[in-house]
Amino acid sequence: MNRRIEKNRAKPATPEARTKFSLRAWREQHLYSLFSSLGRLAARPWATALTLAVLGFALALPILFGLLLDNARGLAGNVGEASSISAFLKPGTKADEAQAFATRLRARADVAGVGVKTPEQGLDEFRERSGFAEALKVLHYNPLPPVLIVEPRGDAEALVAQLRGEALVDQVQYDAQWRQRLNAILGLAQRGAQVLAGLLALAALLVIGNTVRLDIAGRSEEIAVMQLLGAEAGFVRRPFLYSGFWYGTFAGMLSLMLIVIVQFILAAPLARLAAVYDHAFVVHGLGVVQMLAVLAAAAAIGWLGAFLAASRHIALGQPR
Amino acid sequence: MIRFDRVGKRYPNGHDALGELSFELGAGEMAFVTGHSGAGKSTLLRLVALLERPTRGQVTVNGRNLSAVRRRGIARVRRGVGMVFQDHRLLLDRSVFDNVALPLVIAGTPREEMAKRVRAALDKVGLLDREKSAPSMLSAGEQQRVGIARAIVAKPPVLIADEPTGNLDPQLAAEIMALFGEFEQVGTTVLVASHDLPLVKRMGKRVLVLDHGKLIDDFRP
Repeated sequence: MNRRIEKNRAKPATPEARTKFSLRAWREQHLYSLFSSLGRLAARPWATALTLAVLGFALALPILFGLLLDNARGLAGNVGEASSISAFLKPGTKADEAQAFATRLRARADVAGVGVKTPEQGLDEFRERSGFAEALKVLHYNPLPPVLIVEPRGDAEALVAQLRGEALVDQVQYDAQWRQRLNAILGLAQRGAQVLAGLLALAALLVIGNTVRLDIAGRSEEIAVMQLLGAEAGFVRRPFLYSGFWYGTFAGMLSLMLIVIVQFILAAPLARLAAVYDHAFVVHGLGVVQMLAVLAAAAAIGWLGAFLAASRHIALGQPR
Repeated sequence: MIRFDRVGKRYPNGHDALGELSFELGAGEMAFVTGHSGAGKSTLLRLVALLERPTRGQVTVNGRNLSAVRRRGIARVRRGVGMVFQDHRLLLDRSVFDNVALPLVIAGTPREEMAKRVRAALDKVGLLDREKSAPSMLSAGEQQRVGIARAIVAKPPVLIADEPTGNLDPQLAAEIMALFGEFEQVGTTVLVASHDLPLVKRMGKRVLVLDHGKLIDDFRP
C-alpha cells in the first residue's frame, strides 16, 4: 500500500488512542442521529402531529382506565374490612340480653369472635364517620340498636341464615358477600384494562412500525447511497430507531398531558363528591414515578417498533 | 490492489455477464474498462465494490479476498472503495458540503477534521466556493465533481467510476477524466468504466477491453 495514503488515513496507532477515537466516533454518530431524526420529525409537522395524536390517545386510554379502577378499588377498600357479620338487634334490646346472646354465639364452632357495640358506641362512631354530626344533635334520643359484630370461622352462609332466624335479631348485614362481588367485578375490569393496555400498546407499536416503514420507503435513495458508501447496518438503522424513540417519547408526553387535562376537568365534580362523603376518600392521579414509567414504556415501544420495521426493510437489497 | 482470478458472474435470470475474467491492477495504477454496453463493465465494478458476489472465481481488493467477506464485513470493504456513478447519486436535500461529508460521517470522523477534509476534497475538484449550494443548483459537470469529491474525501485506496462522463459534453468529459488522472498520481488505484474509446485512448493509460463478459484486449496506447 502506498505510504502517503496510509499516513493520511487518520488512524491512531496506540490501542488507547484508538479506543478514545472510536468512543468519540460513536458519540458523534449518536448525536448526529439523535438530532437529525428530531429535525426530520420537525420537517413534517402535520404528519408528525397526526401520528403523535393517534399514539397519544392510544396510550392515554388504558392509563385513564387503570387510574379509574385504582380509585374505585381505593374507594371500596374504605368501606371497611368486612368479612364480619353485623347483626342489628331489635331496638330496645337490653345490654345484658345482648351480652348473653354474644356469649351464646361465642360457644359456636363456626364463630371466631363476637364484639358487642352498644347504642352509645354506635352513635359516637356515626358522629365521627358520617357528615351528620349536626343533624344528630337535634335528636333527643338514641335511635340506634345494639349491634353484634360476629367474626365467622370458615363458611359464613349457614351462620348468617341462623342469625336471621334469631328472635333478638332485627337485621343481618353481611358485607363480605357484596365485597366479594365487587372484588370480582373490579378484578374483571382490571384484567380488561390490562388486555386493553396490551392491545393498545401493540397498536402503538404497529403505528410506529408502519410510520418508520413509510419513512424508510421515502428515503430509500438516501439509504442506498449510504450503503454504497460503506455505512454499517447499525448506522443506517440508527436514525430510524431514534425517530421511533422520539415518536414514543412525545406520544408518552402527549398522553400524560391528556391525562392531566382529564384530571383537571374531573377535579371539581370529584371534589364535590368527596365533600359530600365528608372526605372519606381521596382521589389520586399519577405520581411522578408512574409518569416516568409511562414515558419510559412509551419510548421503549417506539424504539422497538422502529427496530422491527428498520431491521426488516434495511436488510433488503444487500448481497449475502 | 485489484485482482480478478477466473471470475464469472451469471445473474439469476440466466444472463452471463462475465466469464473467466482474470486481470490484476497494481497499487496506484490507473486503468480504463471499455467495451460496448452489456459487455460487463458495470458488473466488473459492482464486484469490486461488493455490490454483487461472483458466481465463480475470486476477487481480491486491497489485499482482501472478497469471497471470504461475510455479510457483516461488506460495509468495511466498501469504505475502502470510493465510488463515482454516472448519475452522481447525490442527496438532493442536502448541501454540497453535507454530501461530501457523508463518507466521513459514516466513518465517524471528528467534526473539526471533517470540515478540513471536506474543504480539501472540494478544493481538489475546484468547487470550494460552492459548499453551501444545493446539488440541484449546480451544472451537470459540477454535480459530477461533487460526486468525485465525495468518493475521495475519505482517501480510499481504490477509486472506481462507472461511466462518470456519460452525461457530459466532450470538453467537460475530458476535464473529469483528467481529474481522475490526478488521483492516480497520489497513489490511489483508479478503475474507470467508459464506452468513450477515443477519450480513453487520449488519456494514455492502461485499457481493458471487454466483450460479452470476456477480456479481449489489455493494452496501453
